[in-house]
Amino acid sequence: MDYKAPVESYSGSVREVTIGQGSKAVKIGGESKLAYNFFDEGSIPNPPRFALEVRDTEPDNWAPWVLEPYKDVVSDPVKWAQKCVEYGAEMVCLRLASTDPVGKDASPKEAAEAVKKVADAVSVPLIVYGSGDDKKDAEVLPEVAATCSGQNLLLGPALKENYEVIAKAAQEHGHTVIAQTPLDINLMKELNIKLSKTFPPERVVIDPLSSGLGYGMEYSFTIMERTKHTGVMFKDAMTQMPIIADLAEECWKTKEAKASKEQGILWESMTALSLLLAGANIVVLRHPETLGLVREILKQE
Amino acid sequence: MILIGESIHIISKGVSAAVKERNKKPIQDLAVAQTEAGAHYLDLNMGPARKNPEETAEWLVKTVQEVTDLPLSIDTLNPVAMEAGLKACTKARPLLNSASGRTDSKEEMLPLAKKYNTDVVISVLTDRGCPPDVDSRVESIMDTVAYANELGIPNEDIWVDPILLPVSADQKQVLEALEFAKILSDILPGIKSTIGLSNLSNGTPEELRGILNRTYMTMLGRYGFYSAIADVLDQELVRLNRGDLPQIVDVIHRAMDEEDLDISSLSQQERKYVKTVSTLLGRTLYSHSWLED
Repeated sequence: MDYKAPVESYSGSVREVTIGQGSKAVKIGGESKLAYNFFDEGSIPNPPRFALEVRDTEPDNWAPWVLEPYKDVVSDPVKWAQKCVEYGAEMVCLRLASTDPVGKDASPKEAAEAVKKVADAVSVPLIVYGSGDDKKDAEVLPEVAATCSGQNLLLGPALKENYEVIAKAAQEHGHTVIAQTPLDINLMKELNIKLSKTFPPERVVIDPLSSGLGYGMEYSFTIMERTKHTGVMFKDAMTQMPIIADLAEECWKTKEAKASKEQGILWESMTALSLLLAGANIVVLRHPETLGLVREILKQE
Repeated sequence: MILIGESIHIISKGVSAAVKERNKKPIQDLAVAQTEAGAHYLDLNMGPARKNPEETAEWLVKTVQEVTDLPLSIDTLNPVAMEAGLKACTKARPLLNSASGRTDSKEEMLPLAKKYNTDVVISVLTDRGCPPDVDSRVESIMDTVAYANELGIPNEDIWVDPILLPVSADQKQVLEALEFAKILSDILPGIKSTIGLSNLSNGTPEELRGILNRTYMTMLGRYGFYSAIADVLDQELVRLNRGDLPQIVDVIHRAMDEEDLDISSLSQQERKYVKTVSTLLGRTLYSHSWLED
């Protein structure tokens, strides 16, 4: 008897979200089947997008081999961002480390002006992460939203503690929001429901937190996979947002990545490939060689 | 369903302090309140009772028996406290809560049920923890019940506890417990059953716990489930259990049967129950905002 491979088709799909404005606009999500399930019915209209990471202050504890590609530009976020684009990044992920209240504690205004300069200088969409301090981000991100009004940045993290003020500013100034919850699918859905009461779900991207390989990556994998299952297979409207895998910091802070260049790049690549298989729509990387390696592997799909 | 009032619980600060100080009043107030609310049994949870287990158990049972005639469920994992508590029950046949498939429980708890001729709760727990699915729950309970039968405890005296985990922690386990409840009377004829109902809503915001508990109780009731350890101070729960709210029971049953139940003609309250059924059956992913989903 001939073997006939079963073909699945699903009734749900991930929302298509646009980041950036005009010629910079990039679409993510929109898939109506699971990642890399090329054998099933449905479509994946937009491939996963890769961002490289930029900091608004000079990093102090990066391994030399991850600092090396950026060594001439680390003191200037604009040049750093342009370098990322040269390296082939489809988006730039700017991290406002300077605003951390336990660090430099830069003012919202300073940070917002720096963001504006970067946003204007690069030809790709900009992702902006605050320091993660919920109170400070509630001041910084609305200021960024206003200063870069109309540029459709991807702004976050919006947390359960501060999503209202961030969403309001993003709504007023035409940006997209990253909804972040701590590795818990139930809390993730909860935040999406609350956010969607006042904010269009078509402008939300989920950050379920990405752990590095060997440091809990399987938790991130499971949550991303389940998010896609509930959204695509079971049509749960509150899990149908695209996912961002912000994994660079989690990989490069491991002792393995700090031990050697080769190991660091493999660590970041393996984490990225795994989370892509789980369904990540945006992957934030740090080393340009990781970007090259992951792309090379995906080409052989 | 037989309702076992859960409020006298050592985790409650008031109860813990009252037990420590041997202060009867707060305990007796809870006993009276639950009796008046319609409880059929009162659970006396004394935790591990490490200090003076015998004296504590005896004091607690006597204190409660001074104000109520209801049968008591003696709830501790300490076999010394258990024996003292059972011995002190003079008004009605008590319930030993609980034994399980754990080796220590089989050896130390189950013989007490025989010795004092009590009803006994047997949970599906084993030395390996909580069985993860229906089949392993069945395997565990068949084994433990057979062991109890050999000791001379008949099925009619055994109340099986499927172990209910919080829906906010593990939604799938809620469904597994329900599926187990569905087949229980087929695999063990004559057996009774009970469940720690409020554990379902542990971790859920306080004001939303009731509807989860009430809905699940009604779902279990549909399968002939015998009893629940529950918050009898929730008036709607007691009324629902007593049959005073037949339209709610009906809507819960319909929601169980029809995944795409048309809710447009339903009242606000009925819709909440339908959404809760859908969450408890795992049709939609749980979040604390399930009623707004």
